Amino acid sequence: MNSKLILIIDDEEPIQKVVRLSLKLEANWQIICASSGLEGIDLAEHHHPDAILLDVMMPEIDGINTFERLNKNVDTQHIPVILLTAKTGTAEKRLFQKIGVTGVITKPFDPLTLASQIAKLLQWTL
Amino acid sequence: MECDDGVGEHFLWEEVIDPHPITASSQTSLSRALAKLTAQPVKDCIVVMRSNRVVGIVTQQNLLTAISQRHNWTKLRLAKVISQPATTILQADLSTPAAVLEIFEQQPISKLPVLDEQNNLVGVISHQRLLQATSHPEPVVSIQRQHQRAQLFAEITLKIRQSLQLKDILQTTVEEVQNLLNADRVLIYQVLPDGTGKATSEAVKDAYPAVLGMAFPEEVFPKDYQQLYAKGRILEIKDVHAPDAGIAECLLEFIEQWDIQSKLIVPIVYPLTPEQSQTEPSDGHELWGLLIAHQCESPRQWTDFELELMQQLAAQISIALSQGQMLEYLEERVKLRTAELTETNRALQQEIQERKQIEMALRQSEEQMRLITNNLPVLIAYVDAQQRYGFNNQAYNYWLGQDPVTLHGKSIQSVTIPEYYEKIQPHIEAALQGEQVTYESEIIFKDERSHSVSVSYIPHVELGSRGKAKINGFFALTTDISDRKAIERMKDEFIAVVSHELRTPLTSLHGSLKLIATGRLGHLSDEGQQMLAVADESTDRLVRLVNNVLDLQRIESGDVTMDHGVCNAADLVEQAAEAMQTMAKQHRIEIQTQLQSLSIWADPDYIVQTLTNLIGNAIKFSAPNKKITLSLQPLKTAPTDQSPEQSSPAALFCVQDHGQGIPTDKLGSIFERFHQVDSSDSRKKGGTGLGLTICRKIIEQHGGTIWAESQLGKGSKFYFTIPLSAN
Repeated sequence: MNSKLILIIDDEEPIQKVVRLSLKLEANWQIICASSGLEGIDLAEHHHPDAILLDVMMPEIDGINTFERLNKNVDTQHIPVILLTAKTGTAEKRLFQKIGVTGVITKPFDPLTLASQIAKLLQWTL
Repeated sequence: MECDDGVGEHFLWEEVIDPHPITASSQTSLSRALAKLTAQPVKDCIVVMRSNRVVGIVTQQNLLTAISQRHNWTKLRLAKVISQPATTILQADLSTPAAVLEIFEQQPISKLPVLDEQNNLVGVISHQRLLQATSHPEPVVSIQRQHQRAQLFAEITLKIRQSLQLKDILQTTVEEVQNLLNADRVLIYQVLPDGTGKATSEAVKDAYPAVLGMAFPEEVFPKDYQQLYAKGRILEIKDVHAPDAGIAECLLEFIEQWDIQSKLIVPIVYPLTPEQSQTEPSDGHELWGLLIAHQCESPRQWTDFELELMQQLAAQISIALSQGQMLEYLEERVKLRTAELTETNRALQQEIQERKQIEMALRQSEEQMRLITNNLPVLIAYVDAQQRYGFNNQAYNYWLGQDPVTLHGKSIQSVTIPEYYEKIQPHIEAALQGEQVTYESEIIFKDERSHSVSVSYIPHVELGSRGKAKINGFFALTTDISDRKAIERMKDEFIAVVSHELRTPLTSLHGSLKLIATGRLGHLSDEGQQMLAVADESTDRLVRLVNNVLDLQRIESGDVTMDHGVCNAADLVEQAAEAMQTMAKQHRIEIQTQLQSLSIWADPDYIVQTLTNLIGNAIKFSAPNKKITLSLQPLKTAPTDQSPEQSSPAALFCVQDHGQGIPTDKLGSIFERFHQVDSSDSRKKGGTGLGLTICRKIIEQHGGTIWAESQLGKGSKFYFTIPLSAN
């Protein structure tokens, strides 16, 4: 499988580090990180990643707003977005499904299976 | 008026006609009549009138008989005791005494009223006086003497009547009789109830022994003698020593002790009291005593006048006794009535006092209520059946700027903006139908800010005479819940923050530990590996705990809205079983299913969450190589906490394991938060103590029931029901 480029948008640097290491170890994917929604949109426009892992609760513009902006942007709207969130309520899950994200992975996630979870959602093979 | 019919040369009608008879209405009471009669001692009858016409005669004897025989004599009127028919004669018809005597002989009368041409009463003819005047024509001198005697008798009677004290009356009587008759001794002998007797009054010349106060044994005056005197016997003995005197030898000795030569005895009849008349079998006369005159110096021939005087004075004593009795009776009645009035007065005073106390207590209570209602931070109002305010507390003024006095009597609609009235109208109508209503709303206070309020309407129900409930209105209580709402919002925000802020470092911690544990970042010593495993397991448990706490909080706060829909229960069980397969394999547990297709009305995500929780528990508490069975079957009537009428068909889910089982005494509490069967075991299994509580909350929100059955050492069965869909 060709190496994938994954964009992580999360304001928490420790999460970025764990995800980065996990995906590198398990799938050897390339990782770029953004610490805010606006930075993430900018990176997405320029690097056209294969998938975006997007945190929901972030300052300035949150994950939902970021997703909507990415979705409206012709350069980024084709990029699959997987929400990486601590919000686990049923109502929240329904909201995420409604806005059309590709998938939702709940924090805390298992770093050993994170890559396979992403691959399964995106129908990639590892 | 004069006539001569041969019986007398100078017969005068005036001598036999009493021109001023006592008259009284037929409705006059006996006591009043008696008073009239005794006020004029020379009179012995009353002419009874009705509408100025003579209707009959009542004699002194009639009155005494009535008083002594009729226990209710105090209530009697003269009309009831008239003894003589109203036979009258016109003055113009008075021809000769013989003609009038013939009338007396033909009629059972002793008195004959005389009327003028206009039927006015002009006098009464006495039969006795007519007889005396015609049979023994006396010279004028004799008549004058008789008149003087009558005057004398009247004077004595008047003296007697000057006192109401019986003792004085009796003493005056004996003194006057002794004086008039010039008797040596006059005494009154009273017969006592035990048959003995006593001289109670006496007037005696100094030369002779006194008997006053002496008691006499019954033998002196035996019972059969008493009865004879009671019937009116008069004993007149000229000479006690004469052979025809009829006095026994033994008595003669007794008599000689008192120097008695001659004696005259008349009975004093004792009228029975009203009570005695009811109980004693008597003709109404009882012998009270004797009026006795003694002549000690020599034998004496008692004259008719003396006899008559004694009789009349004895009658006067009887009247005095009657009056005394009447007085005593009236005094007793007055005493009783006074006692009754005193008691009534006391009771009234007490009632007045109690009422005053009640009124004071009511005023204090009202004052306290007013104080309380006016200072409570709640809008309190009473609304009548026509939706008019009957009461508003001061909070209406403080909060809304509406004066309670101004609001009184006004309809809610007239003081409420139309849009708001439209919102609350259904609640008002429901309350007036007898339903207790509680709702939340937003209202603008006088500070022009919107406040969240909770409003309760409590119907004022009154039971009618036939037990039918009538709604008079309702009480309205409005509480400002703005602060509570703000706190709830803060709590929600806090939970959201905690959710994120806890999970984020947990995610990093959890991920880092997992990656280290792979050994791909470098190898650790055995001890290092062990510590890493401890950190990893603890992190896992912390993650589950945080998840469960947040889940439970959301469900309990009502923040979670169940998205009910029709779903296939068997699919949900399969889905949960599949999700738990990985864990089952790790524990070498086999999951079996016994399913059938059932449509239920539920939120599928929450049912799967419940099932995975129960399956997870079953796996954790089963030994390796055991089976877990998931079954599903329909129930015609689901067990419910509500009434049987409200139970409905349901799907019965069952998760059965063959683990260690649960003690019976723990089965009731395992669904309570942090109530684990064995906390140390639970920690070992990584439980949080909240899983079953969450399951119960979810099932309750679906209108179902959850429970467990277990046998120690053999395993447990966890059941829950979910209503079948109508389709």
